[in-house]
Parts: sequence; C-alpha cells; structure tokens
Amino acid sequence: MRDSAPAVAFDGVNKYFGETHVLKDVDLAVEDGAVVVIVGPSGSGKSTLLRCVNRLEEVQSGEVRIQGESITDPDVDVNRLRQRVGMVFQHFNLFPHKTALENVTLAPIRVRGLPAEQAIRRGRDLLAEVGLAEQADSYPAELSGGQQQRVAIARALAMDPSVMLFDEVTSALDPELVGEVLEVMRALADEGMTMLVVTHEMGFAREVGDRVVLMSDGRIVESAPPPEFFERPETDRAQRFLSRVR
Amino acid sequence: MGETYADDASVEETAGDGLLTDERVRIAGLAVAVVFTLAVAGFVGLVLVDYVDYDLLAAVFPRFVFAFLRVLMVVVISSVLAVTAGVFVGLGRVSRTSLTYSIATAYVQFFRGTPLLFQLFIIYLGIPSLWPPGQFPISQSWTVVPGVLSIDWSFITAVVALTLNHAAYVGEAVKGGINAVPEGQMEAARSLGMSYVDSMREIVLPQAWRNALAAIGNDQVILVKDTSLLTVIAFPEILTVFREVNSNQFDAWTPIVLVAVTYLAITLPLMWLVQYLEDRAEWGADRA
Repeated sequence: MRDSAPAVAFDGVNKYFGETHVLKDVDLAVEDGAVVVIVGPSGSGKSTLLRCVNRLEEVQSGEVRIQGESITDPDVDVNRLRQRVGMVFQHFNLFPHKTALENVTLAPIRVRGLPAEQAIRRGRDLLAEVGLAEQADSYPAELSGGQQQRVAIARALAMDPSVMLFDEVTSALDPELVGEVLEVMRALADEGMTMLVVTHEMGFAREVGDRVVLMSDGRIVESAPPPEFFERPETDRAQRFLSRVR
Repeated sequence: MGETYADDASVEETAGDGLLTDERVRIAGLAVAVVFTLAVAGFVGLVLVDYVDYDLLAAVFPRFVFAFLRVLMVVVISSVLAVTAGVFVGLGRVSRTSLTYSIATAYVQFFRGTPLLFQLFIIYLGIPSLWPPGQFPISQSWTVVPGVLSIDWSFITAVVALTLNHAAYVGEAVKGGINAVPEGQMEAARSLGMSYVDSMREIVLPQAWRNALAAIGNDQVILVKDTSLLTVIAFPEILTVFREVNSNQFDAWTPIVLVAVTYLAITLPLMWLVQYLEDRAEWGADRA
C-alpha cells in the first residue's frame, strides 16, 4: 500500500478562511521522488496548499494523504504522520534559544527517542552536508539568513522525512544569499528526495522541477513538466502569469 | 539617556529657531537633575544628622531585622508559588480549550478585579467562620524561631492570599510573553512531529519566559511591598514595627530610615536578580 501510493495526494480538497474560499476542489498527486514546484501570484493559495500537507491548516472537505495514509482524518495521530513530512519556512523559524546543532537534534531526541550521541553525530553530518559544519555551536542570531535557512533544512532532514515542503524559502533572503539555499535544495532533489516547493524562483522551477503547478484563485489551473509549462502553456491564465514573471 | 540625545544633536545639526533647541533641553535636564540631587542629599543629610536618634536606632534595629526575616520568608514562599502557579494561569489564558480558558480568565478577573486587602479578609476571616465558633482547627501557632517566626493562621493567610493574587498578575505576564513568541515557532516545532506539550515546554515557554521576565520581576517587587497590608491580619511585618516604635517613642525619622533600609534590603537584591536572569537569557550576539 505504502509503496504504490503517491508520496502526497490531494483529493477534492476545499479550504476556507472564514468566508474566503482559498482552496477549491484541489486534486494533486506527487509521485515518490518527484519535485513539484508550485507557482502563482500571491494570495492564490499555494502556501495554504503546502500547509495542508502536514495539517498546519485544517481542510473543510476532501482528503490529504501521505503515502496513502489520510492526515486529514480527525482520528489520525498527526504527530506520527508529521514525522514523515519535513517543512522549511519562509522566515526559517529556527529556535533562537538553541544552537544550530541543538535545533537539528531536538526532534530526533525528543520525538524519536534517539540516543543523544547518535542524534549529535547525525546532526553534525547533516550540518556538514549543508555546508555548516563550523557553525554547529552558533546561535541563529549569529548566522546569516542563508545560513539560518540551511540549518532549517538540516533540521527538517534530521527526522528522515519522505517528503520535504519548501514554503517560499528564499523570499526573505538577501539576493546574494538565495543561491546557497537553492544549491542545497538542488542537491537534495538530485538525491531523489520528494519535494513540494512553493517559490517565485522560475529558474529553479525550470531546472529542478519535474512538474510545475500553477495556482490561481485557489485552483490548480495548469500542471505540466517544465518544458511544456514554460514554452507551451495551455491556459490563458498560465500565459498571462508567465508574461509577467519573465 | 541625556548623552544619547546629545550625540544625536552633534551628528544631525538641527538649526533650532525655537526656544527648545536640543542644547538648551539638554542643559535644562542636567540642571533639574543636579538641583534635585542636591535637594535630596541635603534633606537626607539633615535628617540623618539632626532627626535620627542613633541610640534608639541601635535599640530597635533587631526588631526590624526580625520583621525583615518574617517578611522575607513570606515573600520567598509566596513568590515561588505565585510564579509557578502563574505559568499555569498563563497557559490557561492561551488555551484553545474553552473551559480551561474560561476558568483561567475568571480567576484572573477576580484576583485582579478585587483589592488584595479584601482577599486577605476573605481568607483570614471568611475561612475560619466556615467552622462552628471555636472549632477552626488552625487556631494555635507553631514557633519556628522563638521571637522571630511562628507559623499561624495569619502567616498561612499571607502566603495563600499573596500567592493567589500574584499568580493572576504573573499569569497575565506569561500570557503576554507567550503571545509575543512568533506563531512560526510553534508551527516549526509541531511540523517536526513534536506534541503541543513538548513544543510549549521546549520552544515556546523558554522564549515566553524571557519576554515576560521584566513584567514578572516587576510584579515580585510589588509583592514585597504588598506585605505592608499584612498588618491588618496581625502579621508583624515591617510597618507594624514602625508604628510600634513611632507611637511608643514619639520618634518618626528613626523608624522611617529603618523602614526604607529594610524594604530596599529585599527589593534591591530582587531587582538585581531579575536583571541577572534577563542578561542570562540572551541567546547569541543579538537576537534575530
């Protein structure tokens, strides 16, 4: 069941904030190992869509499944399913009172009960992978935005998730720091990580994405591999969007 | 403060065509400070030289030391209990479980909305009157240190009332501290699979504690001063000793000086402790 089911599946998902209908009948399946890039104008519901995957937002109807298991089921152990979904945020959300290494080791120790030495060894490896072996004992306030975001990626990876969610992770960064974060994400994609990426970086979408999804007004209006999406968009909406971001 | 303004003025030369130029305001502020300091120093000097009876001071000094110890005992116990309970009151005030929230809110409203003096009476007079006359079990007193400290119903009332009252204020400070922690902190913790309780304990509360420290410290200083109300429930606190000395010896300034010193001997170290805790809760060079 888990092997055949898509890594993430949306099935007729509807989401409201009060009166506002922010997700409208969304269907989406993300295959294992795929990198799906979600683009669209602000307010189109793309971040909300992402936040439904680990139930930071509740949906009003429809179902979201992680490897075939419904996370929208009210009786599900949401803490257990969230361990399979790593999330990286626009504003990093590192824990300011903990060092980079403590940020990375906290959940493995507390949630999975990993012995401390083992978690620390793995934490140091992960920090080295994102190029921050030297910064293990620094506090977030002592790191640049790009470094903080790379710690945040290492923190999410420490739980060995089967899917990673990236919510506009370069939007709050100074332009010269964007590259180092995208590089880490690219390496992750090359290793075969399943990724859902909300971004405004069209270069990343084109080069790393297996599929580009355009959202507009709470709906998925176009979904295609990058070459088709960027060269031969089918809908007017996609053509208009692309003419503005180019 | 004054120097900061002076620096600003030298960096950004504003052509002051009005009366209130930066330079004049700075000098006026300095003049007020100097005059005030000289006046206070002169007056305190006068009091200490002409109005304090040093023989009397030496004679009654031990009584103030005993009052200090009694009050310190009440303050330490009440403060530790109030801060501990206050954390839970604060958690109740941010709870999304409506019953928990309502109970915490009603608690805070009652204890902040009625005078502490009244709350002292409720416990001191109200609770014993629930028993038939003469039957209240806590009527005797247990001597801890003879002549200095004994535990009786007024001591228990003092601790309970101060704890209940200040837990409400600490609860509001904790609530404010929790609300000042960005939403993303809880989201990041939960998205890692941590439970609500673990996320609160590991991530939100340590930051909320730092945010709330100044307000909590401020409330503990007020708690110290609130012990002056305990005189109405026959607890021999600092001002009780003042009134005894004042009315028996017809001397105001000798006990006044002793009262000031006694209160400051509690409140100043308390303020230093709060400052130390605040400095210690600095993570990294400059918190982002």
